[in-house]
Amino acid sequence: MFEIFRRLWALNWAEQWQYRANLLMYLLFWLVSPIVYLAVWTTVAQSQGSVNGLTANDFAAYYMVLLVVDILTSQITIHVLAPEIQNGNLSNRLLLPVHPVLTQVLVNNIAFKALNLIALAPIWLALYLLFRPALNLSALHLALAVPALILAFGILFLLGSALTLVAFWTTRVWALWNFYSAVFMLFAGHFVPLALLPPVLQTIAKALPFSYTLHFPIQLILGKLGPQEMALNFGMQFVWLALAYVIFRVTWRAGVRQFSAVGA
Amino acid sequence: MQTQIANRTAATARPASPAFGANGRPPIVVEELSKTYKVTDREGGFGAAVKSFFKRKFKEVHAVQRVSFEIGRGEIVGFLGPNGAGKTTTLKMLSGLLYPTSGSARVLGYTPWERQAGYLRSMTLVMGQRNRLAWDVPAADSFLLNKAIYRISDDDYRRSFQELDDLLELGPIVRKPVRNLSLGERMKCELAASLLHRPSVLFLDEPTIGLDVGAQARIRAFLKEYNRRNGATIILTSHYMADVVALCERVIIIHHGMLRYDGGLSELSRRIAPYKIISVHLGGCDDCALEAYGALLPGEDETGKKRLQVLADQAPAITARLLAEQPVQDLTIEDPPIEDVIERAFNESLSH
Repeated sequence: MFEIFRRLWALNWAEQWQYRANLLMYLLFWLVSPIVYLAVWTTVAQSQGSVNGLTANDFAAYYMVLLVVDILTSQITIHVLAPEIQNGNLSNRLLLPVHPVLTQVLVNNIAFKALNLIALAPIWLALYLLFRPALNLSALHLALAVPALILAFGILFLLGSALTLVAFWTTRVWALWNFYSAVFMLFAGHFVPLALLPPVLQTIAKALPFSYTLHFPIQLILGKLGPQEMALNFGMQFVWLALAYVIFRVTWRAGVRQFSAVGA
Repeated sequence: MQTQIANRTAATARPASPAFGANGRPPIVVEELSKTYKVTDREGGFGAAVKSFFKRKFKEVHAVQRVSFEIGRGEIVGFLGPNGAGKTTTLKMLSGLLYPTSGSARVLGYTPWERQAGYLRSMTLVMGQRNRLAWDVPAADSFLLNKAIYRISDDDYRRSFQELDDLLELGPIVRKPVRNLSLGERMKCELAASLLHRPSVLFLDEPTIGLDVGAQARIRAFLKEYNRRNGATIILTSHYMADVVALCERVIIIHHGMLRYDGGLSELSRRIAPYKIISVHLGGCDDCALEAYGALLPGEDETGKKRLQVLADQAPAITARLLAEQPVQDLTIEDPPIEDVIERAFNESLSH
C-alpha cells in the first residue's frame, strides 16, 4: 500500500507542477475572501477598540492562522472526480484493484495541497509583516494541532467525496457543491469567528461537522481552548470522521451500482 | 440460401471444444446474459420537454439478450457485429463495469461485476478510445504505478517489461510525456500498461482503431505472440477484418443483442458464402465470353485479372473447363473476402 502511495505521489506531484499557473490562479481567487475579512474586521476592531471582546490583534491572528488551516484541511475532490464520473472515464479507475477515491483522488488532493502551501508561503509572510499579529504559539498546541488537522482533512475529504458522488445520479452536482460550500463557510467560522454569530447559529454550528474542521484547529493553535474543550472537540472530530466514512461508503456503493446500471 | 445463420443449436454445436482450465472449467462461461437499459424517451421541442419533466416515459433498450457462450483457455475469439450490436456492453459486463439485468457469467471462477481484487488483478480491458495513462508524465511513471497497484514483484516487472519492450519496441517512447506521443505510440503504451501484470484474460475493444496499417499489423503480431507465450484467453472486437482473420479462428457474431453465430471463421465462410472467386488472366482476348463460366464480377483486381464468382463445389470443374477452353495465362482460386462474408452475415441476420 505504501508503495502505491509513493508512486501516486511522484505522479501527482509531477502533474501538479504542469498546472502550476492554474494552481496560482486558484490560490489567488481563494485568498481574496479571507484577506478581505481580515482587513475589514481588523479595521472595525481598531476603530471601536474591540468587537464582542475581540481585538484587532485577535482578528489578525485568527485569519492568519485560518489561511494555513484552510489549505491544510480543504479538499478539491469535486474538481477531480465529478468530470471523470460524467465523461465515463471513471471506468478506467474502476478496473484497477484499488479504491480510486481512497488512493488516487486522495493523493491528488494532498499533492495539490503541498504545492498550494509552497505558493502561499511568500504571500503569508507579506501579510504577516503587514498586520504583525501577536500569535503566541506554543509547541504543545502545535503538536496537538497535527492530529486535529489530519482528522479535519479526513472529515472534509470524505464528506466532499460523498457529495461529489452525487454526480452518479445528476449532472447538477455543482449547484449542490456551491450550497455545501456556503454552509461550510458560515458554520466553519470562515466568514467570521464563530463567537460573533448569533446564538442560534452557534448552536447549529455545534451540530454540524464544519466548525470541528476549521474553527477548532484555529482556536487550538491560538491557545484559546482549555483541556476540556479540546477533549470535547477531538471527540467530535472522531465521531464525524466515523460518520463521514459511513456516508462515503454507502454513497460509493450505491453510486457505483448506479454507474454500472446505466452504462459505465 | 440459408437465411438463419445461427440459432441456439448452432451455439451449442461449437466446433472448437474449449480447452479446459485447471479447475476443469473453461475460463469464460456466459449463460443467458442480458442487459436492458432504460432510456428516457421524448420527442424534441419545448412542449415535449415540459411534458417529460412531469411524466417521464422510459423506453427499454435490449442491448444484450440471453447470450451464452464458453471460451477455453488460450483461445482468441473475435466478437463481431455492427455498431450498437451489444459487443461493448458484453465486454463491459465481463470486465465488471456493468451489472447485467439477468443471466450469469463466470470468468476465471469469479463473478465479474463483484469486482473482487483477485479478479481485477488477473484480467484487463483495453478500449481503443480510452486512456488509462497519466497524460502529463512519461508512460514509464504510469507503468511503475501499475507495478505497485497490481503488486508486481521487481523480478516479474523486469521480465514483463523486457518482454513487452521486445514485442512493442517501447524503448524511447516510454520516457516522453504521454501527451507528446502519436496515437500509435500511445496505443503501444496503453497495451503495455494493461499487460504488465500479465493478465490471463484480455478483453480488447477495438484495440487497433485509428491506427495506420503498419501499426495495426504490429499490434496484431504482438497480441498473437502474447497469447502464445502466456496462454492468455482473448476476446477482441474490431472493425478491421484483417485483425479478425489474423488472430481469430473462432468468431461470435451478435446482432441486436442476440447471438447469431458462434463457430470457426472458415466454417462461417462456407455457410454464408459458399462460393469461390476465380481470377483469370487471358492471353489474346479481353472477355472471351467469361459469363458462360460463372458470375462475372465488375472491374478487375489489382493485378488486372477478371474475377468470376462460382459455387464452391463447382470451382474445380469450372477451373478445368477454363484451362481447357481458354488461353489462360494466369489463374488463382480464392475464398471470398472476409469483409463480404461478415457483411452478408449481418445482413442476413437483419432480414431474419
